[in-house]
Amino acid sequence: MPMHISVYFDTYPGMYMAQAFCHSVIAFIMVERAITLWKINSPLIRQRFGLLVILLPIFSFPLYQLINPDRASIAFRLGALFDINRWLNLELGGVPLGALFIIIVFVTTLIFLLQEMVPVLRHTFESKRSGLHAAGSDNNPAVTRAVEQLSAEKPDIFTLDDDEFILFSSTGKNPAIFISTGIIETLSAEQLRAVVAHEIAHIKRNRKPLLLMAFLLRMTMFFNPVVLLEFRRIVQEEEKICDDMAVLSTKDPAALSEALQKLYYRDDVTNPLQLRRFSGMRDSLEEYSHNVQIGNRIARLEYSPVHGKDGKWAELIVTVIIIVGINYFVV
Amino acid sequence: MNKRILSLIYFLITVVILVAAIKIINYLPMVIQAGTIREYHSIEEVRSKLNIKDIYIPTYFPQGLVWPPSLVLAQDKPFTAVITEFKKAGKEAPALILSQSASATFRTDEKIRLRGIKEKISYPLKGRNMMLEAGVCDNEEPCSRITWAEGRYTITVTAKSEPPDLLKIAESMVHRLPTRGRHEKN
Repeated sequence: MPMHISVYFDTYPGMYMAQAFCHSVIAFIMVERAITLWKINSPLIRQRFGLLVILLPIFSFPLYQLINPDRASIAFRLGALFDINRWLNLELGGVPLGALFIIIVFVTTLIFLLQEMVPVLRHTFESKRSGLHAAGSDNNPAVTRAVEQLSAEKPDIFTLDDDEFILFSSTGKNPAIFISTGIIETLSAEQLRAVVAHEIAHIKRNRKPLLLMAFLLRMTMFFNPVVLLEFRRIVQEEEKICDDMAVLSTKDPAALSEALQKLYYRDDVTNPLQLRRFSGMRDSLEEYSHNVQIGNRIARLEYSPVHGKDGKWAELIVTVIIIVGINYFVV
Repeated sequence: MNKRILSLIYFLITVVILVAAIKIINYLPMVIQAGTIREYHSIEEVRSKLNIKDIYIPTYFPQGLVWPPSLVLAQDKPFTAVITEFKKAGKEAPALILSQSASATFRTDEKIRLRGIKEKISYPLKGRNMMLEAGVCDNEEPCSRITWAEGRYTITVTAKSEPPDLLKIAESMVHRLPTRGRHEKN
């Protein structure tokens, strides 16, 4: 008895997967248009809009089914705005498109595991093993001098004896900032203050339970390629939000911009599209895209005003209503 | 005009364009591949267009049901399936739904939804092992459903009637000895 792939997409897990994908595509299009039309430049608001692409598809299918159990019926599908099963059941050259969809889902899951879960778990494991959570700050004089003018509540700051540029923060009950001697020796006091303020902003942001919950919920969409892309953009926006918070705290955007330039920006990164060989293209692509992001952050700090204001709630609500309304008829 | 309102109008225009684009994208598979599920005017049209020879229709109809069927849906891709609905005279909701499908997981419409199944028994009929369920529908109307394997098809008959009527309908749908080899792909 040969089992047709379409059978899977008639089951609830199959329908959830296929519809969550469609719903995120529509949310993505609408969010893009909303950001462009309403000229939303604030990374905080852009991130809020971006979260719609991630969060709405998690709940849309079960919610719609609860409202109308007949939504899975043939009659509803025939009258729907879009029925993805029509495409998934299509056979091109003898290959059902449903099989291609399963391959895309599999590849997305693999990328999620290798590029998101494994690094997070490794980082957690390594920082626990290396005992980085020791109590008390080690009071490096250069760092102490640099951050004394910051009005924000200061976490413990630890110095790592390393010439490489290492800078990160840990969250939890005792948040801390870890900074390498390489950075301390490279940056001026103002620049050091700016990068520490940026890390403090990360610690503050990570205390927000709603944001944390959104990031955890994102894991349920591990199979969704649209969510994978959108999540990366949200992470980039998070960096910009922390840049803005740092600038609001230091009142010195130039210092942060110069620090980013010194620590992370490179002029000599090759565009991977100009490479003539495939080997090393992946690393090159990552390096290039990282460099572009740093370049964008530097340009923002140099040329754009800092966005500390909240707002655009009406626009957000309109966008949510439209996405939810359209997606109800997308099965 | 206020910039905010103008942006809202542009946004709504985008919505209209998106909805139109989605509708076109939804229509394309039907153009690319014939045989996907759609509505037909009659059983004969299904037979001729999809070349489905075995369409199981009862010869017994309880009184009040209207012929021809009020709705005929059929597909032969990705597997063969036919759904036929019948109404009672002067009523809007279907009173009898027949479904035959080459896939056992085919999701038939639940326009007649059995709420609170009171009895579920295995019922032998003409050499088939049928599963009979009896219960009530939305407004406490008696409803029943019977399912069995017929050759390569799974047949489900749901009706707004008591089990004896449903059994008569099912009995009138099968004429041959039971065959083997169910749920094969076309």
